Parts: sequence; C-alpha cells; structure tokens
Amino acid sequence: MNLPSQESSVKKSQADLLFEAQQRKQNRFRLNVILSWISLLVFLVFLFSGIEIKSSGGKTEISYWRFRTVTENNRNIRKKIQTSTSSLSLGLPGKGVDIKTIIVDGEFIRDNLDFVATGIVETIKISVFSILLAITLALLAALGRLSTNPFIYALSTFYVSLIRGTPLYLQIFFFFLALPQLGIVLSGLRAGVLALGLNYGAYMSETFRAGLASVGKGQREAAIALGMTPIQTMRRIVLPQALRFAIPPMGNDFISMTKDSALVSVTGFVHELMWRATKVGRAEFRNMEALVMAAIFYWIMTLILTSGQSWLETRLARGDR
Amino acid sequence: MDPIIKISDLDKYFGMLHVLKNITLEIQPREVVCLIGRSGSGKSTLLRCTNFLEEPSHGTIEVDGIKVEAQGKGGEHRQQIHDLRLKTGMVFQEFNLFPHMTVLGNVIEGPVTVKGMDRNQAIALAEENLDSVGLLFKKDEYPNRLSGGQKQRVAIARALTMQPRVMLFDEPTSALDPELIGEVLNVMKKVAKDGMTMLVVTHEMGFAREVADRVIVMAEGELIEDSNPDELFRAPKDPRTKALIDRYRSGES
Repeated sequence: MNLPSQESSVKKSQADLLFEAQQRKQNRFRLNVILSWISLLVFLVFLFSGIEIKSSGGKTEISYWRFRTVTENNRNIRKKIQTSTSSLSLGLPGKGVDIKTIIVDGEFIRDNLDFVATGIVETIKISVFSILLAITLALLAALGRLSTNPFIYALSTFYVSLIRGTPLYLQIFFFFLALPQLGIVLSGLRAGVLALGLNYGAYMSETFRAGLASVGKGQREAAIALGMTPIQTMRRIVLPQALRFAIPPMGNDFISMTKDSALVSVTGFVHELMWRATKVGRAEFRNMEALVMAAIFYWIMTLILTSGQSWLETRLARGDR
Repeated sequence: MDPIIKISDLDKYFGMLHVLKNITLEIQPREVVCLIGRSGSGKSTLLRCTNFLEEPSHGTIEVDGIKVEAQGKGGEHRQQIHDLRLKTGMVFQEFNLFPHMTVLGNVIEGPVTVKGMDRNQAIALAEENLDSVGLLFKKDEYPNRLSGGQKQRVAIARALTMQPRVMLFDEPTSALDPELIGEVLNVMKKVAKDGMTMLVVTHEMGFAREVADRVIVMAEGELIEDSNPDELFRAPKDPRTKALIDRYRSGES
C-alpha cells in the first residue's frame, strides 16, 4: 500500500466534493430564479384576471368579473358584470380586505388580436431594413474616422454629431413632415426606415470603431509583410475580426431598434404593432387592453431576439482567440 | 556573387531620435546573418526597414534586384515596395497569426490573396511547408489551440509559402517560454540548411554561434562589428561587443 498516493486520492475527492457542492448551490440558485420568474408572471396574470377577493366578517367571497354586452334603454353597452361567486365560511374578522384586480375586456382582445398581430410583420420589416441601412452607414462612418483625408474624417464626425445631437422622434417627423416642403414626399415606411437607419448608424459607428481598434497593430503588420494592399488588409484581416467583436453590441442595437420602430407609428401611415394597438384602443376606449396586447408581442419578439443573440455570442466565442 | 540584400546609406529618425545612422550592409545569397545588440540599438528597426514596414528616412534598400529609394512618392514607389515585400518573408516576435483563420487558412492566405495563386496549388504548397515545420496534423486547428512554439512554427510556414528569396526574423523566440525555444530554433536551422538567405534579429547567442555565417553587432544605431561567429565570440574587438558576450557567457554558466 502506498500511503502518499492514497492521501492524494482522498484530497482529490475532497476537491470534487467541494466542486459538486458549489455546483449544487449554483443549480439551486438558478432553479429559484426560474421559480421566482414564474411566480412574478403568475402574479402579473392575476393582476389582470378580473378576480375579486373579499374577506370580511369571518367570510371570504371570491368572485370573477368580466365585460358583457347588456341592453339598457334599447342601447347595447359593455358593462362589468360579476359572473360567478364562491364563498368560504372562513375569513378575516371585521371590515377585512377587498382585493380587486384589473378587469380586461376579453371579447375586445379576441376581436382585435388578429388585427394587432398583423403589425408584427410590419415591425419586423422596418427593423430589418433599418438595421441594414444602419450597418452600412456605421461601417462607412467608422472607416471615415480612420481616414487620413480631412474631408472624409470631417464628414463622418459631422454626421455622427448631428444625428446624435437631435432626438430620434424629431428625425422621424423631419423625414416625414418637413421634407415634403422641399418637394420630397416619402412614404411613412421610407421616412421611418431612413430616420431609424441614420440614427442607429450614428450610434453603431462607435461600436464599429471600437471593433476596428480592437484589432492589434501586429495583425496589420503581418498582412502588410505578406504583401497585402491596404484594401486587402482591411477586407481579409481587419474587418472580419472587427465585425466579430462588434456582433454582440450590434445585437443589442437591433433589439432596441425593434422597440424604437414603434416611434414610426407617429407618421400614421405605417401599420405596425404600435399604430394598430393605438388605433383599436382609441376607437373603443380599450387602450389598456390594446397596449397590453402590443406589449406582450414586443416582449416575445425581444425574448426571441435576445436568445438568438446569446446563441450567436456563444458560437462566436468558439473558434478564435 | 552579387549580394541579394544591399542596404546603402540608410538613416532612420523617429522624430528627433536618430535610430539608424548611415548603415551600409550587403548580404550574400544563402547567407545566415544574425543581428545582435542591446535593446534600443536599432536592430529591429533595421530589419523592419528592410521590407519597408518602417519607411527609412534616407537611403536605399535592394533585395534580389528590386531597388527602393527611401521617401519615394507615387504609384511606382508603392509598386516597388510591394515587389520588395514579395521577395521577403517576415517572422514576428508576437507571431501575429490571423486568429479568425485556421492554420491552413493562415498559410494559404498570402499566396491566394496576394499572388492570386490557385487555391489547390496553394494548399499543396502550404501542406508541404506545414509538414516541414512538423505541424501538418494541426492544419485545421485555430491558432488559439496552439502553443507559442507551434504558433511561431506556423508563422514560419506562412512566410515560406510566399516563396520569398529572403527571410527576416524579428526576435522570433523572445516571446516564448524557455522550453519552447528549441523547437523554433530547430525549424530555423532547417530553413537555413535548405539554403534560405536569413537575416535574424536575436538574443539567442547559442543559435548565432552555431548557425550564423556572420554575426553583426549593433549599438546606438551603428554596425560596430561584423565577422564570423567563431572570431566574434573568441576575440570581440569592440568593448561593447565584449560586454554583450560576457553577459551571455555569465548567463550560460
């Protein structure tokens, strides 16, 4: 029997145990986070459920409210109706509590769900066109910042400064409402895409600039020593590495652009999610229902994009460096 | 025989700093020349001027019949520099492999992009050179999966695949862990044996002594001594050379 080796094997298993304990702790934490998420979600659903809990005088009454169409004085109106009640002979004494939750007009949601959901297509369309324009402009502006030509350098900094110095809301209005005065009439979609693209292009140029700066001098020198021209060096060596660096922040920009596309609804001619939600909401004074619908759609889109982005990020982390 | 590298009246200033002082140097084909000297003596700058990675302030560089004047202007000058770079392969201290390409991708990048070589032909050539540095089995790996010594060997294969007439090495082992230096020096010896003209900036006195045909000592931007290694290590003429060699000897024992 060899004592030292036995000792080391004991030590190793101890380290394993510690590691496992840590792992268990982490897993427990993750599980608790998920459970908390679920309970918060359940609470949110409860908040909009129309359930009323009244507990007083030693009795508890749980009732369910909903909107119903009723005829009063020969006119159809929608009214909050208490539909079902169940009671328990157990409850708080005295005055007790009365918990009321928000009553949502389910029929309105059912009737308008399709109409609002159709806006998703338009929202995605604006976002994709705008991000393509933004990437192009951002790349040009970032390369302009590297230029030794003073005019090109000035052009790029001027563009970034002007766009970042004015509100996006104003820019959208400018392209839609101010340009027609000059005889340039853009459709709502075009004006929106132009404004969003220009705006995000200016912000994203900083991301690209950081990406270009992240590529070391040695990489350029190695390319030059191989005999590459400046354009070949940029295209084959610097840009691929810079873009890889810039993809995660670009994902963030795309996500916030998807939400900012709602601003395009102010033109009144782009029938995306926000426009549709406000239209039906105002028409029947059901703004809450309409906006909740739109919020859920935006949230789901963002969740999908976020998970897509983290997938991309882990993929990019593999392979290099 | 005509020299393959001719450096004449070369000066280089960094601002007010005079880092290369009127350097004239000729290197014959198949010669292996080591440049040694303390840091700041200008040896790396001289090497980097040889392929115009640094533009000299004055003088001319000629490699294999391509003659380039310092501080030229215009398209013709650019073309000359391009031609000069095709004649020279360079190996850097920090390897500078392209992290977004596989080992094979790194090695074929030059021939395909710069020379417009047919891809399959480039791959064949690249595999031959990777084999000769002993890393053909790593051809589909990315550089981050390689050790420092392996990276430097790939960098040598990358430079060789451009089929240069001259190889420039800028302290190729200085960034390596001591136990990885040997494999790189062995590859360099092999390259020398195959008849490549080599200009090597190094601190590896052992390599200089064993492999070099000539050892040139630099100090304060000047070439202070130029002789064969036996003579240099036995009887250094300049006191600064003597100090350099003594320091190496004390480190050796």
